[in-house]
Amino acid sequence: MAEAVAKKEKKPNPVGRFFKNIGLAIKNFFVNLGVGIKDRFVDFGKRFVDGSIGTKMSHFVLGAGNFYHHQWIKGFLYLALEVLFILFMVLCPEVNGTPYGWRSLGPEGIGLKGHDGTATKPGSDPVLMLLFGLVTIIAIIAFILLWLSSIKSSYKADLDVREGRKPTTFKQDLAALFDNKFHVLMLTPTCIAAVAFTILPTIFMISLAFTSYNQVDMNALGTKQFTWVGFENFGAVFTGVGSLGTEIKARFFPVLGWTFIWAVLATFTCYFGGILLALLINKKGIKLKKVWRTIFILTIAIPQFISLLTMRNLLDVNGPLNKILMDMHIINKEINFLGLGSDYKGGEFIPKLMIIIINMWIGIPYTMLMTSGILMNIPADLYEAATVDGASKTKMFFKITLPYVIFVTTPYLISSFIGNINSFNTIFLLTGGGPTITDGLTTYKAGGTDLLVTWLYKLTISEQMYNAGAVIGIFTFLITATITLITYRNSKAYKEEDTFQ
Amino acid sequence: MKRKPFSIAILGSLLLGCAFALSGCNKGPAITVWVGGESAKFYQQAANKFFKDHPEYKYRAVVKGVDTGTVAGTITTDASAAADIYTVAHDNIAKLVDAEAAYPIENQGLIDQVVADNPQGFKDVIYATPKGETEKKLYGVPYISQSLFLYYNKKFVSDEQAKTFEGLQQAAKAADNKAFTIVGDDGYNFSFTMLARKESDKSSTLKLYPNGERHDNWLQGDDEIAFVRWANEMFADPNGGEWPPANWITEVQNGKVCALIGGAWHFNSFAASCDDFGIAKIPTFTLTADHVQGLTGVSAGDVYRGGTFADCKVFMMNMYCAEEKREAAQELMKYLSSKEVQKESFLEVNNVPAFAGVDSWIAEAKDQMTEYQYMLGVAQTSMSAYGIAQPFVKSLYNTYFYSKNGPQKYVNLIKLSKAECTLDAIREALFRIEYTWGWGEDVPEGKLPATLPASTAERIEA
Amino acid sequence: MSSSIAAPNKKKKYRSQKAAMRTSKIVSYILLVILSAIWIMPILWIVLQSFREEFRASGAYVGTVTTSFFPTHFGVKAYADLFTSDFNGLEYAFPRWIANTLLVSVCCCIISTFLVLSVAYCMSKLRFKLRKAFMNISMIIGLFPGFMSMIAIYFLLKSIGLTQNLFGLILAYSAGAGLGFQVSKGFFDVIPTSLVESAKLDGCTNFKIFWKIILPLSKPIIIYTALMSFTGPWMDFIFAQVILGNANPELWTVSVGLYNMIFGPQADLNLFTRFAAGCVIVAIPIVSLFMFMQKYYVEGVTAGAVKG
Repeated sequence: MAEAVAKKEKKPNPVGRFFKNIGLAIKNFFVNLGVGIKDRFVDFGKRFVDGSIGTKMSHFVLGAGNFYHHQWIKGFLYLALEVLFILFMVLCPEVNGTPYGWRSLGPEGIGLKGHDGTATKPGSDPVLMLLFGLVTIIAIIAFILLWLSSIKSSYKADLDVREGRKPTTFKQDLAALFDNKFHVLMLTPTCIAAVAFTILPTIFMISLAFTSYNQVDMNALGTKQFTWVGFENFGAVFTGVGSLGTEIKARFFPVLGWTFIWAVLATFTCYFGGILLALLINKKGIKLKKVWRTIFILTIAIPQFISLLTMRNLLDVNGPLNKILMDMHIINKEINFLGLGSDYKGGEFIPKLMIIIINMWIGIPYTMLMTSGILMNIPADLYEAATVDGASKTKMFFKITLPYVIFVTTPYLISSFIGNINSFNTIFLLTGGGPTITDGLTTYKAGGTDLLVTWLYKLTISEQMYNAGAVIGIFTFLITATITLITYRNSKAYKEEDTFQ
Repeated sequence: MKRKPFSIAILGSLLLGCAFALSGCNKGPAITVWVGGESAKFYQQAANKFFKDHPEYKYRAVVKGVDTGTVAGTITTDASAAADIYTVAHDNIAKLVDAEAAYPIENQGLIDQVVADNPQGFKDVIYATPKGETEKKLYGVPYISQSLFLYYNKKFVSDEQAKTFEGLQQAAKAADNKAFTIVGDDGYNFSFTMLARKESDKSSTLKLYPNGERHDNWLQGDDEIAFVRWANEMFADPNGGEWPPANWITEVQNGKVCALIGGAWHFNSFAASCDDFGIAKIPTFTLTADHVQGLTGVSAGDVYRGGTFADCKVFMMNMYCAEEKREAAQELMKYLSSKEVQKESFLEVNNVPAFAGVDSWIAEAKDQMTEYQYMLGVAQTSMSAYGIAQPFVKSLYNTYFYSKNGPQKYVNLIKLSKAECTLDAIREALFRIEYTWGWGEDVPEGKLPATLPASTAERIEA
Repeated sequence: MSSSIAAPNKKKKYRSQKAAMRTSKIVSYILLVILSAIWIMPILWIVLQSFREEFRASGAYVGTVTTSFFPTHFGVKAYADLFTSDFNGLEYAFPRWIANTLLVSVCCCIISTFLVLSVAYCMSKLRFKLRKAFMNISMIIGLFPGFMSMIAIYFLLKSIGLTQNLFGLILAYSAGAGLGFQVSKGFFDVIPTSLVESAKLDGCTNFKIFWKIILPLSKPIIIYTALMSFTGPWMDFIFAQVILGNANPELWTVSVGLYNMIFGPQADLNLFTRFAAGCVIVAIPIVSLFMFMQKYYVEGVTAGAVKG
């Protein structure tokens, strides 16, 4: 019955609209892609048929068309790059092994044998196989782009000649780089650097999620090899079936839950705390505003690893804070605030609470700094009008100040929410993810206060369970990406990106 | 106007930075050595002396202080980033050999020296079988011995009280603090209960990879059960043992514990945290009627002494040590592990030597040492007599690092409340640990036998 | 404000209002003092600890955390030790770390600022075919947690022989910088496009517009970007350690060094006062830089984040 009613009411709800939009976006993407690819092929065919002999030659020898049009330097550059590419493919041993090696990530590596049968060199490394496989794929894509650009450049020269213009000289090409092709000049360094050090590593880690690269298991089996396992690792998170075992399933959801609770609490405590503090400092009649502000801003200015490690020592069981509280007879036994050490038995609540409080110590000044300016910018006539109407101070705060500030800082709120999901320093430096959960499961080392991101760190850096780490990383990405998509696509900043100026 | 000093400052700092960065890349080929941080300076001098005396090897030595945990971690991730010669605790040998990170010792002079100098216990654990081969090869060159012993704060504990756990407990009661603590809750630090031996004849029913035999373990003896009961009671007592704290140094400093069960590597920190202290063997404990209830192999009043793993730290050669360097590297190892250098390293940086007969040398050379050094040497060498070197059978089978959760289970057992700590619960847990030692994993679900085996032979059949 | 509007016949109300204002002011001051005390206390504590010079009866120096908030004896031994003594056998460790960090941060500052500004300008003021795609990709990549690719970058640098090397670290720090252009783009967006268009009509090339018109107008964002990339290496203690290796203290940056003094396998808890001294030394320039450029910082952050 209920279902039938729900079906009848076809009111578009925001969630439904969101998924519909995603569906449409995906459809459009593929339609556009299809059209794009078709157009490219049509263009490609046209150039080959229509082009001069030089352009036709360019399909085989890069730069031939440029030589044909006497663009010597350009032609030479294309040719040199082609030769470089061929040399790379032929001479680099890691690349040679790629087509075979990438499929199975290398045969069992027993080191090269010396004269007495002892291994003298370590065996083949599947990590390098995988990495160079990706490098090779990227190199091939880059070469295809270069190849197309060579053909296009030659065809353009053809058209120039046909229409009675002179083909561009190298000097003109260079000059264009500073004018209407300025973006090419400006973006090339970033593109190269980003492909090499951001995109390639990210793809590499994503592919690790589909392998059995887990140093703990590999040590146990006494092997250096790993291979592709498909979606098994992702399945293990939900079903517990697979080489990652049931423990990852048992740990993932508590960590995910705490990550959300933490992000919500940390964001809102700091946000409203910061607004209140800014109001307090900016209150009329308060003198030395600058001094007060500076005192609070100190915590932002000091590097986090210093302020957080200081806090950790200050709150130590044998630290000064416990002593002060004991001397004042507020407590009669030291409190292990952060749940450190394996003698800790107090549960997760106190460490979690302390982390949120300490995070306020760090985060409130940040919001204060941000909102101070905004508070000063609230149009004074709003308040004047309200005063004439006889509104009370509290009412003004809730009706004018707060809505205005929230309206202006919503994007900041969202970005700080995402920032808190990925808040590594606070957790890592204060509790190290602890206290240990004592339920007999120990392999995945996720502690009571671990967030997805600190867990990810533990898995990849300390435990070397790379595939598990990659899976967690991908889940973290999916979460932050979903939040960003929902909020960002609905934000004015995105919709009116061009009209804003 | 304002810009000038600023840009000069930046330029200056840049140059300074470059100068420092480049000063690292000294001239000439080097043989790099990693040793423990506290002895880096000592071994740098020793290695310099070696290359000065042997001009035929045209290398210089670069010695760095790196702790063993970091070494093992670095090498298993990326052995090429590690030194030509590195040092680890011997129980890492199998792991590193399996990871193709270690190169066997080939220099006959060095092999002879290792065989001649070292006690049999160490000689059992420094060989390993490389992958794809059948013959054992020498990989580790012992140069330091390590074991647990007792540090106690004389402010609370008299020398007499430090001889028994009961005495420690009594002292703790008087001072209203804890009797002792340990540094970590892993298998190594808890070896003082598991490896305890009868004081009268040093006997124990424990069998841990005897002769490198993987399945031939035995942890379910009556004495082991009594030890668990004793430890369980000890750690539950308000003036008994303290569970490893986050920061033991401040606990000692603030007088919250009377004593620490630790190794020579805790010497400096312990010395810095109390005014007057003593070093002794791990104390003895006496079983009570409660401990032996329902057991036949032990009786109330039996006196046992806490045991320890007696390990050695070894030099190893990296697989990535270039071929032309290997000869010189092995000669260097031979020199650094020679008895003379080992003795010097004890006198200079408190490294207790590994060679056989070190106890008699310590007695002889007493007048060359400080009072504390002598105590340290005596305590450790006499504990070594109670200890066994941590055995392993390939990388997978080891009590300490790699067996899946074996030590963790033992710790959980000691953590149980008194009500949970029944005879059956102890028996089952010990069986599971023992199974983990032998098979590298916990007892598969549903495979736990209805009646636990009464001997090794029976269990292997099961 | 209210005083100016208050009519004279409401004098009584005015007076009570004034009294209320005064109490609220006093309450506010009390609140501010308490809060400031809470905020200052940890900072004060670490500074005090760095000047602690206490010894045991046995003559051993007490360098660990102690229970007392105020030291019983002051001195500069911690600072002297920091600059003269070794760490794990490495001589003059701390000055080395400072020098390493300076080298890395100056190089990063130059490279990153250049990359960020060039990308931000293109995205904001130029229109070309793949612009939207570039922006989307950079946003998507930015959403992957940074720690995920850390180990991959290590493998990558290793394959070109740049691990255990400061230049590898510089590369790793600054290579991805160009993708973090959003804040600067926000700033450039506010510069009127008409300026660019009129310059174009005058025959300026895009390069000239960037160099002669946009950059001189963008001092705050240049300073903000430079400040951010300069201070980055002083604060990061994870990435640097992975790239430089746990075993190479001679290459560490200052934050890695300080972190390892009291945490991790090489830690020595007796180095706490020395750690405190190191923290003070690092914090002073960073804090003063920040205070000096606070204005630009706020402008930079608000340019990126606060947008309706």
